[in-house]
Amino acid sequence: MAVHSFETMGTMVSIRIADAELGEHSREDSAIAVLNEIEHECARLNAIFSLYLENSEISAIARGELALADSSDEMRSEYARALDWREKTDGAFTPHRPDGVIDLSGTIKAVAIDAAAALLRDAGFENFSVNVGGDLTTSGDQSADESGWITGIVEPEDRGTILAALRLTPEFPAMATSGSAERGEHIWLRPETTKDFVQATVIAQDIITADVLATAIIAGGHATLDQITQNFAVAVMTVAPDGALQANAKFQELVAR
Amino acid sequence: MRAGSAFLAGVGSAAIVAIGWQAGVGTLTSSLPQSQAAASGATAGASSSTSFNSATTDTSSQAATTAPVASGPADGTYDGAVINTRYGAQQVQVVISSGQISDVIVLQTQTADRKSEQISSRANPILREEVLSAQSAQVANVSGATYTSQSYMQSLQSALDAAGFTG
Repeated sequence: MAVHSFETMGTMVSIRIADAELGEHSREDSAIAVLNEIEHECARLNAIFSLYLENSEISAIARGELALADSSDEMRSEYARALDWREKTDGAFTPHRPDGVIDLSGTIKAVAIDAAAALLRDAGFENFSVNVGGDLTTSGDQSADESGWITGIVEPEDRGTILAALRLTPEFPAMATSGSAERGEHIWLRPETTKDFVQATVIAQDIITADVLATAIIAGGHATLDQITQNFAVAVMTVAPDGALQANAKFQELVAR
Repeated sequence: MRAGSAFLAGVGSAAIVAIGWQAGVGTLTSSLPQSQAAASGATAGASSSTSFNSATTDTSSQAATTAPVASGPADGTYDGAVINTRYGAQQVQVVISSGQISDVIVLQTQTADRKSEQISSRANPILREEVLSAQSAQVANVSGATYTSQSYMQSLQSALDAAGFTG
């Protein structure tokens, strides 16, 4: 197992490549090459979409120096994707900050995870996980004797403790967790944000769906949770402020036994 | 120990069930001594008049007839009363072993309409014991609310990553 961690987008990326334990030098070389590509792709996305960087394209839009209509194809396409998710979640997820500034940090981290997974696949790797700041996607198996990837969910009140352990499989390879105590970059709590849940975890076919829906559940509370479990094929677990858990049947199927 | 308090003490997470099933658990707790009497009683038919039916009763606890009623609920499976919620009729089942709750199962009395599909997909209250796993030692990744690059060093993920380097 090759494990590589690096910093990007204000958080840490952890990549595990189970294929690389084969010990072949050519395999190690291609692992190093693809990890470099991934670092560059994350840096590239950050340079365009980070509101923390003055020189980013999105900061120019936020300052009113660049009209959205004149922005890059990539900016407009990511904005359209985020707006589409606003529709699908009845507004619980939104790319607009309360002050009107467009903030795509709710989707870009997931886009980076997706891009990293695609680069790993293109390089011929089949068994890997890509974890960016606690949201992740997986492919194949953790090891020869462990099918899927065993993945923990942290206890919101004691983040050194695991609350649940699930097996991520090709059907449900991606997991994202959002919390109400999360720092501002990912979820800025809107005035209408509920206090129903302190943490929401969503497991889905792809990381963008998982990440957006976890964010939406924190913002929209019980009503959004019900809407999402009805309309999306996802596994969900929530933690209420008093520690009470809720999960749907799909989640319970994925618990690693 | 008193039956009621033993029941609650047995489940640290009783409050979890109470959140989603206030009415159900309220009935469950208050009715338990009654159903317990029915469960340990000789006639199965006696239980049908209570709000709880002993579906299966552990034979070993029946054998221990000398155990005082106040020592705690008898082992067995207890069905809660059917509660009408805005999602339709709902019911929980509690499994007691060694005087403690070992499982809570949500039974759903579904009507054959679209509403039942909604109920079956819903996220229902669960106990922590239901999601904890014997496989925790095999965890390769952790998911949690976004950590910063600073807090990463204190995170479980950093420990797992460090273990990955040496392992």
